[in-house]
Amino acid sequence: MVLETFHAVNFAEWIGPAAKVWLIAVVALLVGFALLRWLFAVLRQGPAAGTLSALNFLWAAAADLLLISPRRTLALAGLTIKESMRRRVVIVFAVFLILVAFAGWFLDPGSNQPARLYLSFVLTTTSYLVLLLAVFLSALSLPADIRNHTIHTVVTKPVRPSEIVLGRVLGFAAVGTVLLGLMAAISYVFVLRGLDHKHDFSAAAREQLAVMWRDARRNDSTQGIAVSTDRVQNHRHTVFFDPAQETVDEQGVRRGAIRTDTENGHEHEIQYVVPAEGEVQFVCSPPENHLLARVPIYGKLRFKDRAGKDADKGVNVGDEWTYRSYIQGGSLAAAIWTFENLRDDQFPDGLPVEMTLGVFRTHKGDIEKGVPGSLSVRNPATGDEAHVRTFASREFQTDLQVIPLEFQTGDGRTINLFRDMVADGKLEVWLRCVAPQQYFGAGQADLYLRARDASFALNFVKGFAGIWLQMVMITGFGVLFSTFLSGPIAILATGGALLGGLFSDFLYQLSQHKVFGGGPIEAMIRLVTQQNVVTELPPTAQTTVAKMLDKAAEQWMWLIWHMLPDFRVLSFSDHVAYGFDISWGLLAMAVCQTLAYVGPAFVLGYVFLKSRELAQ
Amino acid sequence: MSAEVVIETRSLTKVYRDFWGRRKVEALKALDLDVRRGEIFGLLGPNGSGKTTTIKLILGLLFPTNGEALVFGRPAGDVEKNARIGYLPEESYLYRFLNAEETLDFYARLFRLPRAVRRQRVYDLIEQVGLQRAKRRQLREYSKGMTRRIGLAQALINDPELLLLDEPTTGLDPIGIREMKDLILHLRDQGKTILMCSHRLDDVQDVCDRIAILHQGELKELGRVDSLLKVRDMTEIRATGLSEEAKEEIRQVIARHGAQLLSCDNPTATLEELFVKIIRESEEHPGRRVRGVA
Amino acid sequence: MNPRRLLLRKMIYVGLMIPLVLLLAVLGMPAAPGAKGAPGSPGGVLARLREQHELSPTTLGDIDPTSETLKLATLGLRGVASTILWEKANNYKAKKDWTNLAATLEQLSKFQPNFVSVWRFQSWNLSYNVSVEFDDYRDRYHWVIRGLHYLDKGIRYNRNEAILVWDSAYFVQHKIGRSDERVQFRRLFKQDDDFHGSRPMARRDSWLVAKERFEDCLEVVDRGGRMRGSPLLYRSNPAMAQMGYAEAIEKEGTFGEVARREWKQAGDEWHAFGALDLPRTGSESTIRLNDYEPRQEERKALAAQLDELEPGLRQRLRDEKLAALTDEQRKALDTPPEKRSTRQMDLAAQAEASIQVGHQEQARRIRGENRKKALELAKQIDLIDDELHSLRSSRGIVNFEYWRLRAAFEQEADTVDAREAVYRGQQALAETDLVAAKRLYEAGLLKWRQVLDRYPQLLADENTRSITADDLGEVIDEYRRVLKLLDEPFPDPFILQDVLEHYQPSI
Repeated sequence: MVLETFHAVNFAEWIGPAAKVWLIAVVALLVGFALLRWLFAVLRQGPAAGTLSALNFLWAAAADLLLISPRRTLALAGLTIKESMRRRVVIVFAVFLILVAFAGWFLDPGSNQPARLYLSFVLTTTSYLVLLLAVFLSALSLPADIRNHTIHTVVTKPVRPSEIVLGRVLGFAAVGTVLLGLMAAISYVFVLRGLDHKHDFSAAAREQLAVMWRDARRNDSTQGIAVSTDRVQNHRHTVFFDPAQETVDEQGVRRGAIRTDTENGHEHEIQYVVPAEGEVQFVCSPPENHLLARVPIYGKLRFKDRAGKDADKGVNVGDEWTYRSYIQGGSLAAAIWTFENLRDDQFPDGLPVEMTLGVFRTHKGDIEKGVPGSLSVRNPATGDEAHVRTFASREFQTDLQVIPLEFQTGDGRTINLFRDMVADGKLEVWLRCVAPQQYFGAGQADLYLRARDASFALNFVKGFAGIWLQMVMITGFGVLFSTFLSGPIAILATGGALLGGLFSDFLYQLSQHKVFGGGPIEAMIRLVTQQNVVTELPPTAQTTVAKMLDKAAEQWMWLIWHMLPDFRVLSFSDHVAYGFDISWGLLAMAVCQTLAYVGPAFVLGYVFLKSRELAQ
Repeated sequence: MSAEVVIETRSLTKVYRDFWGRRKVEALKALDLDVRRGEIFGLLGPNGSGKTTTIKLILGLLFPTNGEALVFGRPAGDVEKNARIGYLPEESYLYRFLNAEETLDFYARLFRLPRAVRRQRVYDLIEQVGLQRAKRRQLREYSKGMTRRIGLAQALINDPELLLLDEPTTGLDPIGIREMKDLILHLRDQGKTILMCSHRLDDVQDVCDRIAILHQGELKELGRVDSLLKVRDMTEIRATGLSEEAKEEIRQVIARHGAQLLSCDNPTATLEELFVKIIRESEEHPGRRVRGVA
Repeated sequence: MNPRRLLLRKMIYVGLMIPLVLLLAVLGMPAAPGAKGAPGSPGGVLARLREQHELSPTTLGDIDPTSETLKLATLGLRGVASTILWEKANNYKAKKDWTNLAATLEQLSKFQPNFVSVWRFQSWNLSYNVSVEFDDYRDRYHWVIRGLHYLDKGIRYNRNEAILVWDSAYFVQHKIGRSDERVQFRRLFKQDDDFHGSRPMARRDSWLVAKERFEDCLEVVDRGGRMRGSPLLYRSNPAMAQMGYAEAIEKEGTFGEVARREWKQAGDEWHAFGALDLPRTGSESTIRLNDYEPRQEERKALAAQLDELEPGLRQRLRDEKLAALTDEQRKALDTPPEKRSTRQMDLAAQAEASIQVGHQEQARRIRGENRKKALELAKQIDLIDDELHSLRSSRGIVNFEYWRLRAAFEQEADTVDAREAVYRGQQALAETDLVAAKRLYEAGLLKWRQVLDRYPQLLADENTRSITADDLGEVIDEYRRVLKLLDEPFPDPFILQDVLEHYQPSI
């Protein structure tokens, strides 16, 4: 239960090389296109006239792209918005409302991580609906205009084709923005309300507490007791009432405020007033700390094997999933995270190390207790290591260990964390498993410094901003395809780009021949003849032909994979659902990626529209 | 009449090709035309003769296979020229989800007209075409005649110097046709140049200063309407109150001068006669007819 | 279009719709439950077909709107959707994303609520496979219970699928009562108010709950529900769960009358199980496991009757056969078994087989007026032999005799006392009170001696002997350790020397 694909990339480092690659691609594309246009013109009109026509075209294109009139573009965008309304965008919104209204049927607030479930649901639903809408709206609009000839009255006005394309993109983006904004607001309320609940105490628990308070009145040193709340949304909390923590006024009225334990990813605060006579009043807060936006500082992970030698990876304990690798307990094996750029002003209250570990036992051990592990810090420059503490593991739970700024080690040294251990902003955190023959599993993002918590609401908005970017990207593709394809075909193409973007991993695997069952044709043969994906096909001529065709298809897929955007980069659903802050750098990266695609899509769309006989 | 040429086509040719690039139809064959400022120029021809193709080529909606069309001296593909052009398509291709006001406002915006001008012009035009009552209704609810009118208003939104009207009278009732013709003449009187095409001879005859007759993509006849109908060695005698004796007398006079009286009936619509004749001839002897310009 | 034609067209449409709607009603009407036991309406054709093919829910109140909506929403692509969900579930499991796995399984079950394999497979997945992925036993317990909840939901959708009820009983019995974490699980299970609801504390034992559910399963079977597996096995489950319960409470320190009562209960239930008519393999008839001994008596009586018809015939036949043996065979037979060579063993076995006198053979040799009666008797004996054979194999499958014996001797006061003494000895050992431990162990072993003397069957046949030896052997090992710690020699002769002879300590 970790965020497997995290992006610890620094925007400033990323943008340079990325922009370079992009520029090369765009320049290559433009030059290639211009050459093609020229060749075509030369073939049709002879060298002189052809060259002239090509130059004219380039000149006109430059003018069209540079002299875009905002007013005309906005007018076209306005038209696009009105058209979208006509095409009953409202229906999509209604579908969303229905889905949300009935989501209670599918979503179980009593699950272990209800917040994650709810957030995943709203983000996925919105993104699918909005993307689908974007595909249909953007791909259908221009072809419909051309089919109905309404485009004739537009292009015979002093409108540049670039403005038509840009107006479309902007108009759909505007519609999408409003729609997404509404959906985000509704989703937010839906998540809050869906997760909202309060707890009370049963009569038996109240009775127990009454006894405790009666005792406390007589005897100041009365021990507190732990009581369970009632069961709401499939869980209870344990609350520890401690008379020593309560305030007592002259009338003998006791007041207290306590936090419950964490269950299903949240806790409550319970305030109560114990009058001298009569019923105790409990006020339970709504769930807290379940909607988070942790700002993690990731380190770089490396391993030591059981002999203490450097290793790329730990041991595989037989998991199919290779994200985590394991270190052996009671040996020299360790998982080491190196953090950089740490400053003491970032961490006034110590270094909050948050970790989610895998635990693998080779023998039962003491099953009442977690496998013990040890946490140390090490100065990367001097190699000086200090043991911080031993802890008991809890698998699949996020465990927060705060390393104090000053602490005593077992051998009596007093360590000042930043003075003694941080060298040049760098610090190593060493994790070891203490119990012999037991293992700890760790992956890159499993241990991080939880520097601070950002605002969840803002993170939620950022998550929707990711969907917004995806929508803009799809709109760009849709409008591009609609400039030279008929409506249904443009929908297919745009939908294809969307699917390819969403499953770019699969596409890659397919193009690299890494998917069981072979390429599309082989898979079709297997499907029809009902053959297992791992058995070899009989070595007939058909098989050879199929494999050859698949080989060709794979080349294409490889090409397409390289051209399509990776939508996962734009999807922040996991960040929001898992409670991690979407950093501004990540958002900036996503914005750049979107622009990197939408920009050329716009130019290409313009070129296609410009080169097209609209009255044919 | 000013000699300034507003539209000029030089051996303008359009060949439609099918999906595979094979020649399908030669829609227009080497058309040479010029339309001068301030005149009403009519393109006449049966359906499929290349009238609309010509207009679309002039507007840049189609790209010529050969030759070129110049408007205000600029190539047809240039968007800047559109600022001075108004175009009424064959059927008013307008956004059916907009109402009259929104439609005109939208097109006005495309000309970057300032808000005040835009408002005034939208108001004026709606009044001019008589749609005040229906200005808030979506175009999808309009009758054909109403659509035509809003189409015309749309073409006039920029107060153009040049108007291209594709079959301006179709879909109109007789009163509407009259009004349209009056409007066209009125626009000409304002100094606008008008190129219209029609297959309705009476339209053309009534309003056009000059016409070109097209058939199967070829120019068959070009000239002033009056001279075109005059050039024949034919004299039309129109009179009322002639007695049978007087008619006989006239016949004799004609015979005496070595001429032959063809008929002495009530006159026919002579343009129609000319038109039908040209079409027949053209069908009998395909090929371009070279004729002096009037 | 003129208004009249429009109206006409509308009327035609309505006219066409009415029969369609009626047809739909006839086909699709759901069954309505009758008021308080009165037979309800059987519902439309589809409902009846569903009933016939046991695709519940067929009654209106039971239809789950979510499930129905989802099924409709896939527009007939339910199979595809399910495949995708299975794939997703597998992926989540591989990536250890348990929250999403559970959510996906919920969706999956809503797509295929009547597909029993989904419920069985995925509940097992939760209770067994996911559960052990967690290191903390409390988390493990949580997932075991999730699996059970999942099954419960499946049971609600499939009221006629007894196998689901059986699975849930088995999960409780096996996962909570027998797994490595049973001590913790049983403790958590007892405290789990949310699972038990209003079930009284005394009934919250995992074994008793399992028994309850096994009984529920049988109820569904008796109601005509569908069940897989052999009745011999699933009918024995409740009584076996009772045995498990009695065993478990003793392990946890409950002795005396309570333990005896539970063992007695187990014995009674085992007897009742033995009295059930169970299908006999390869035959239409039924057998009762309890019948073995009476049948044996019967057979003996019939054999005696046959012998009486011509006394001495049997011996004569045997002698004839003996005479027909080869020298070598006879020599092998005469050699005492322990001195026979390998070849001789084979020969002796052959000889033994060939000198057996069959009842048919015996009867056919009888002449005269008794012949008919003799043949009749022989036939009866053969029939009984067949039944005895079936009984023996069926009994073997459920280990019938051992458990009968077990229930019997366990309810003896001496046995319970012996176990209590050993239990307290173990406690003393854990507290390193060695002297007390020694005393308690010895008291326990003494009691065990008495039990063994009263129940010699415990060391009689191979099967029972090894169980007894394993059970007591561990106690003896502990006793030996106590003595070692006290630096005292192991007594010789030892009071349970006979047990020790059969005990092979596991390494």
